[in-house]
Amino acid sequence: MSSKRFGSARRTGARRRPRPAYDSLVQHDPAWHTRIARVLAGALGVWGVAGTVGPDPEEARGFVIVPRAGPALRVSHHPSAGWAVTLRDPAPGAEVALGRHAGLPGLLRRLREVLAPEAAPGHLVIGAPQILPRDAGAR
Amino acid sequence: MTTAPVPVVVITGFLGSGKTTLLANLLRDPALARTAVIVNEFGEIGLDHLLVEAADEEIVLLAGGCLCCSVRGDLVRTAGNLLARRAAGAIAPFERIVIETTGLADPAPILQALMTDAGVADALCLESVIATVDAVAGAATLDAHPESVKQAAIADRIVVTKTDLVDPAANGLLERLQALNPAAPRLTAAHGAVDASRLFAGGIPDARGAGVRRWLAAEAVPHDFADHAHDHAAGRHDRAVTTFCLRRNAPLHAVTLTLFLQVLAEHCGARLLRLKGLVDVLESPGRPAVIHGVQHVFHPPAWLDAWPDEDRATRIVVIALGLDPLWLEALLDALDAEVAAHA
Repeated sequence: MSSKRFGSARRTGARRRPRPAYDSLVQHDPAWHTRIARVLAGALGVWGVAGTVGPDPEEARGFVIVPRAGPALRVSHHPSAGWAVTLRDPAPGAEVALGRHAGLPGLLRRLREVLAPEAAPGHLVIGAPQILPRDAGAR
Repeated sequence: MTTAPVPVVVITGFLGSGKTTLLANLLRDPALARTAVIVNEFGEIGLDHLLVEAADEEIVLLAGGCLCCSVRGDLVRTAGNLLARRAAGAIAPFERIVIETTGLADPAPILQALMTDAGVADALCLESVIATVDAVAGAATLDAHPESVKQAAIADRIVVTKTDLVDPAANGLLERLQALNPAAPRLTAAHGAVDASRLFAGGIPDARGAGVRRWLAAEAVPHDFADHAHDHAAGRHDRAVTTFCLRRNAPLHAVTLTLFLQVLAEHCGARLLRLKGLVDVLESPGRPAVIHGVQHVFHPPAWLDAWPDEDRATRIVVIALGLDPLWLEALLDALDAEVAAHA
């Protein structure tokens, strides 16, 4: 087997499990925008942060969060890299990247840390099983 | 040999709402003969336990504090002692424990203690929460005391007491309770008398799915959020409580369910009074998961052998303080879309 053929297989990823592109499964359509905007706006309400969430005019897959107090945040989604959060500095052109997050849980955590640092995070605690065994019967 | 966990019933309700009278009547019912009772009183001298007639050694008084605060550890120790004494044959082999809280208690921490404490969590299981609401003063109490709203909202059963004095339908109390906790059946008690078989019929689901529908009561809860508005004569504390059912016809990824509960626990915390659900999990076709949590504490998901009825949709009943159902619905959908994209 020639190295050329082997190299060809590697390049095409023939032995790898094909990974669907995010775009192929999650359409960045109006429904997606509505849903994500609702998630972000609802999170502001949960944290007690007054502000608005709207589309980012400069980024088709992005949102701008404008709190009543403090600088705005830009949130954008990139199919290969997840969510990016950027602090919009009041000085024109100056922005600070706050990080990237693979999924919504990480994004929401980061936003809370920035927008509502005083909000104490909770932690999921798993207790003992509740359900009765099969032979116990419902009471 | 494994021993089946002992069912625990928590009776809560505001000061003077008739908890002790109800309990005293219930304990006269032969069906509840094998019941141990833990009475929690706030104050130096407890009196309520004197009003409850049962074998002395099966009534334990927790005085000097409130179960949800300072004596939570005492509750766990007391329940543990009862179990140990039962195992040793020192007391009658009770089949159920009833805990009467103080009128000021927030039931959530008590439920969490029963769910998580290493000393008792495996030996006990929460059967139901019963809240008493006074037909005479109940509406005013709901207006004035958020604790009473929380007690009624979190309950599996609501007993409207003192109906011999006032018709609760006439003063709007029943309507308020229906809006506050539509999943909880409401019973009425005159002079503390109530049908014990109906009161204790909430039950704990078993692995075959028996009792799940009754326990979940999802059909009683609004799931059309556009129409869900508090247009009744609610007080300001009532309006803060929302009870709704997230309904989803497509199965959820198991990871979605985990992430959803993690996000709720992380961000909602105390706002999430109670969550119960029957979930269609993609990786477990035909075997739905039962989920149950109080604030950020959850039982591990339990897998049923089969669906309990013809309805195969996911149904998650949420009782929360100030959470928007549309937010939770969007969050669940968004998480599942992300998980699907990476699956």
